[in-house]
This record gives sequence, structure tokens and C-alpha cells, in this order.
Amino acid sequence: MKHHKLGMKALAGLSILAVVVILSTCLTIDIRYKKEQMSMYNDIAFSYARTAAEYIDGDRIRSYVENNTEDDYYRQVQRFLAISQAQTDLEYYSVFVPYEEELAYIWDVGSGEGVRPLGYREAYMEGGQEIARQICANTYPERIIVTRDSEYGYIASAYAPVLDSAGETVAIVGVDLSMPGIRKALFHFLITVIFSVTAVVALLMGLFYVFIRKNIITPIDRLNRATKEMVGSLESEETFHVEIHTGDEIEELSESFAQMYLELREYLRELSVVTAEKERIGAELDIATQIQADMLPSIFPAFPEREEMDIYALMDPAKEVGGDFYDFFMVDDTHLAMVMADVSGKGVPAALFMVIGKTLIKDHTKPGRPLGEVFTEVNRLLCESNKEGLFITAFECVLDLRTGDMVYVNAGHEPPIIATCNEGYSVRSVTPQFVLAGFDEMTYKSGELKLAPGDRLFLFTDGVTEATNAKEELYGMDRLCEVLCANAEKKPRELLQTVKQAVDGFVGEAEQFDDITMLGMELRKLKDSLTLKAELASLGTVTDFVNGFMDNCGYDNKVQTQIDIVVEEIYVNICSYAYPDGPGDVTAEVAAESGRLTLTFADSGFEYNPLEKEDPDITLSAEEREIGGLGIFMVKQIMDEVTYRRTDGRNVLELTKNVDTVLVDGTV
Amino acid sequence: MNITKTVNGEETVLAVEGRIDATNSRELQDAIIGAFQSTKNLVVDFEKVAYVASAGLRALLLGHKTAVSKSGIMKLTHVNENVMEVLRMTGFQSALHIE
Repeated sequence: MKHHKLGMKALAGLSILAVVVILSTCLTIDIRYKKEQMSMYNDIAFSYARTAAEYIDGDRIRSYVENNTEDDYYRQVQRFLAISQAQTDLEYYSVFVPYEEELAYIWDVGSGEGVRPLGYREAYMEGGQEIARQICANTYPERIIVTRDSEYGYIASAYAPVLDSAGETVAIVGVDLSMPGIRKALFHFLITVIFSVTAVVALLMGLFYVFIRKNIITPIDRLNRATKEMVGSLESEETFHVEIHTGDEIEELSESFAQMYLELREYLRELSVVTAEKERIGAELDIATQIQADMLPSIFPAFPEREEMDIYALMDPAKEVGGDFYDFFMVDDTHLAMVMADVSGKGVPAALFMVIGKTLIKDHTKPGRPLGEVFTEVNRLLCESNKEGLFITAFECVLDLRTGDMVYVNAGHEPPIIATCNEGYSVRSVTPQFVLAGFDEMTYKSGELKLAPGDRLFLFTDGVTEATNAKEELYGMDRLCEVLCANAEKKPRELLQTVKQAVDGFVGEAEQFDDITMLGMELRKLKDSLTLKAELASLGTVTDFVNGFMDNCGYDNKVQTQIDIVVEEIYVNICSYAYPDGPGDVTAEVAAESGRLTLTFADSGFEYNPLEKEDPDITLSAEEREIGGLGIFMVKQIMDEVTYRRTDGRNVLELTKNVDTVLVDGTV
Repeated sequence: MNITKTVNGEETVLAVEGRIDATNSRELQDAIIGAFQSTKNLVVDFEKVAYVASAGLRALLLGHKTAVSKSGIMKLTHVNENVMEVLRMTGFQSALHIE
């Protein structure tokens, strides 16, 4: 538990400090006191020694040594010494005469054992001889000497010389102080000091601890608790409040905390506003993505009523809203426009520019208007509203579904990839011109291609070829052509999905950097129709119409002649029989598919099925033959399939011939 | 369509040029029947005929029947491949005199 660590730490620190203070204080006091005491004892001992030495008459000493007899003076001195000894702490008080090897006692008084009588001689104690010599030579340093002796105990001794009238040292006064007594006094003093110092220090430390507790630890604890509560109450409306009035940095800290709390709350409030804003932008981006997706034609089949072509397109944006777009729409009843474009940049700016670009291109693509002119105008308009320096690479083509003629204009975009009936997909080199929105005075020129029934067109953006895998390799044109050729037979929808899967498989786990956009179109058939009054005089118009269509498709001369016969026979038939009360309308339609040519005649005249007519016998001789009946017979001979139906009050005759064109597409 | 009439003694030659369709077959028919007013041997030169449909065939058949009724003869010459195909298809190849 971290909770009370600070208090414990303070307490431990203070305890250690107290011990150190007590020890150092006691030690200092002890050493100092001991020194003082010893010095004092030294002075006392020597002053006693000197007093006795002065008191004693040195001239009388010799007689006591020689006679060994006590007299009045001797007893007087004896009494003086005894009184002095008894009234002080002196252990022994003695006067002796030093000799070379031994000493002889004159007076000796003491409280312990071993008091010597007059004239008693004994050997020096250890070092005693040297001291005696120093005293006689007057070189004694007046320092008490501490000795431990079995007989005299633990004593401190001081000495002073007794001089005679000639100034010669005749005897020595020795004073012995009891060391245990000194020690005991010192020890008592030390104990007192330790107790009193400990008491004072403990009291001070206790007070200091209380002070710390009150002024530091408790406020910090309180601040800590308040901070913990604050974290939990950030969302609520409670304010941060903590009662700290220490008047120092801690109070300042708590104020800082309160300030911080307010700012944090403000920050959180702003953050939640920003987050909400972000969510709103996210939601709007989703809507934008949806709007953008909705702008691109995405209902397939796109033209279910048109059997001439099959078209499919897909876009997979890299970010929420992409800069790529495709478009396709009918310019008029017979012209299909297709657009593939890529706006520079990504995200919202590119998407907005894309919307402008797409709208302008579609609005300006009008029936009969040259595509070069369309792009020149769109470019000029885009340049007017392009302060951001964005640009668009775009390819637009308009396919005439009657003839297969395809005009295109290419503003810096990838070339189209086209597959003919017999060969696989290959890239068509179409000279790219400058990108749209790059330079307002650009003039664009259109080019022409020709598609035959069965041909397929593939448009794409660089997101396909520049899709990158984890090894930083590009998908590339070669891989794209390879997968297109391998799946050349597939319908646009399946083809595009296959290509997408191939690209996805190549990219793997790597991030998709660019939008992937593709458009596939298969030209299934070319078809044209003509409606006119069913009059024999218009026969040439009908045959010219059919011939023109077939010429364009590239059917050979023999087939054209045969079809001429069919057209004539059927048309003449209608003119002759359908409208007995005056000519009505007839519609001739011709359609070329891969391996099939279909003619359809429809009139709203009198119900009549020419196929019911019996075939003439062509084996008869000319003389026997009927005039007439040959026309329908020839039609049946020439065509592979002939059907009649009456639909919505119309006679519809459908005639099919299995024949291929010999078309050479002309790239201009 | 243009028709040029040339008389070579007993034989009359009608050189036809162009397409023979329902709008002009009547001209050919009239030209053939007209020619038999003054001759029994008629040659219809189809060298420059690119196209014939049933209307043209009808004119030829009428011409042929007129020749038979006048004990004369009508011959088709220089028929190109496309027209011959039509004649073959309709059995006219064996019914008419074609050189």
C-alpha cells in the first residue's frame, strides 16, 4: 500500500536523524567533559601535593630517615595530612625519600590498605624511579599518572618535591586520587546527558514530525484523494475543491490543481465538441460518398432495351470519396457516349472537382457536336473555376450504334484497350492531348476508331495499372492485357469482376493508394432503321439505306446483291398489298451481328403473311410458269431464317442471313 | 436503267445497262414486247446488268412467252455471275435461252 509511505519515510528519516544527533551530542559532551574533569583533577592533585610540600619543613626530613623516630612535628604533619586526606577525595597522601633503587616512607596516610609506617622501604612501582629522577632533576611535567596496581588499586598520582633550606629535593609528596571515583562521576554525568539529550531530541523530532504531518503529508494526502476523485468526476458538473490552507507551495499546488482541473474540463468539453464535429463530418462524408456513387450510372444492365451493346462499369475508391469517375449515356437515340476520367489528388477536393468535370462533360456532349470542341469548351470552363490547380485526365468516346464509328478525344488519359472479334485485347495508341483544367487556351482534336459487331472496349484509370503490391511492384499494362485476353469471351460484368479480382489478388494485403475504375463495353450489334411511306417510288431510298449500312459494315458485293433482292421483294410486296387504300408507313431495320445479318420490315397495313404463299414449281418450263410468286421464293432461298408475326396491329417480317462481315477497322 | 436497241438484219439486240428493279422492270418488259413487233429473234444483252430481282424476271418471262407465241426466240447474253445466281435459284437458267 502506497498510502502512508510518506509518513513512514518521514518518521524513519527523523529517527535516524535523532539517533545521529543524540550520539554525536553525547560523544562530544563526554569527550569535552572528561577532558575538563581530568584537567580539574590534575590541578587538584598537584595543588594538594604542592600544599603538603610547602607545609613540610625539608630540613627535618633527614633526621626522620636516620632516627626513625616520631616527634611532635612529625605528628603535627601527620595530623595535617590525615585531615586533608579525610576532607578530600584523596586515596593516599604520602611523603617519601627517593633513593636509587627504592624509596623510604616518612609520612603515609590513606583510606585504603597498604598505609606504610615511618622508615618503611620498598621498591618503586613501575615507572616510579623515572618520575623520582625527573622530580629531583626538576624536569617533572606535572601530569597525573594513572596506574593500576594490585595493592593500591586503580589510582591517579601527582607528585611535588619537598625542598630543604638549601633548595635541594629531600623528599617527594605523593597524592593518589581514586580513579573509580572519577570514572563513576563521569559515568553518572554521561547517563544524565544521554537521557536529557534523548528527551530533548525526541521531543523536537516529535514536534517536527507533527509539523510535517500537518503541513506536508496531510495536505498532500488530501490533494491526492481530491485528484483521484477529480478523475472520476470530470464528466460531471462538480467543481474541484480541496481544503488546503498551508500558505505555501502546497497550497499553491492545490490551486494549480484546481486551475488544471478547470482547464482539463474545458479541454474535454472542447474535445467532445470536436469529436462530435468529426463524427458529423464523417457522416457527411458517408453521404458524399453515396452522392458520388449515385452520380455514376450504376444500375445494370444500363440499357436493357438496347440490344446493340452491353456495358458495365465499376469504381472502387481508395479513400471515402474518390477522384475517379466513369460515365456513359445516350447522346441521342443512336449514339452512346462513354467517359473515363481521373482527377488529380484524392479525397474531398478531388471529388468536388470530379462532380464539376463529370457534369460539364455530360452537359456539353450534344448530338453531332465534335468531341474536340466539347473538351475545348469543358477545359475552358474548368480552368475558370480551378484555383486549386487540380486537373483531370479524361477519355471520352461517342459510338455510333448504327455504324460502329467511334469518335474519341483523349486528354492525357490511358488509351482504350479494344478486342476485335477475332483477336484478343490490345491497346490502341491514341495520341494523348493535354490534361483538362491545365491550360485554358488548349484546343482539343478528336480522333476516330471503328468497331465491328462483337468488338469490345475496355477503359480504365491508372489505379488499375498502378495498383501496387507489398513488394512495391506495379500491376502494369502487361498483366492487365494478359488477364483481359485470358477472359476475352466474358461479358463486361464478369470481365470487370475478374479483372478486379486479379488486381486485388495481386495487391494482397498492401494498402490501396488510388481509385480503381474500369468500364467495359461489348458492341453486340449495329442497327439502323428507316421509316417511310410505302411507295414503289421510294424503293431506291430503301435499298440505298440498306446498302449504305452494309457497305459500312464491310459485307462483300455478292451478299449485298442478294440482300438487295430481298429488300426489293419484301418492300415491293408491302407496297403492293399492305395498304390498298393508299400508302401507309413502313419501317425497314437492318442489324449486323457477329455472323448474322438481320432485316426486319414492319408495316401497319392489312394483315398479310407472305410466307403462306405456296412456292412456285421452278422445274416447269418457261411456257408453263406462272408470272409472279418468285419474289418470296427468292427471299426464302437467300435468307437462312424468315419469320412473320403480327404484333400490335403490325406485320413484322424478320429475315436473317448467317453471314460475316469482312471488316477492317480504320483507325484515323 | 438504259436500254439501247440495235437491229442487225433478222436479229434485234437490246443492250440493257444498270439495275432492273420493280420501278423500271416495266420499261424492260415494254421494250422486249415492243421489239417482237418487228423481229422474231431477240437478243437481250445483260453485260451491263448488275442486278435483277423478281420484277425483272417477270419481264424476261413475259418476253420469253411472247417469243414462243410468235414462234420466235429470245436469248440472254453476257449474264454476269450475280444475275446468273438469281436465274439459277429460280430455275430460269434452264427455262430461258442463255448464252
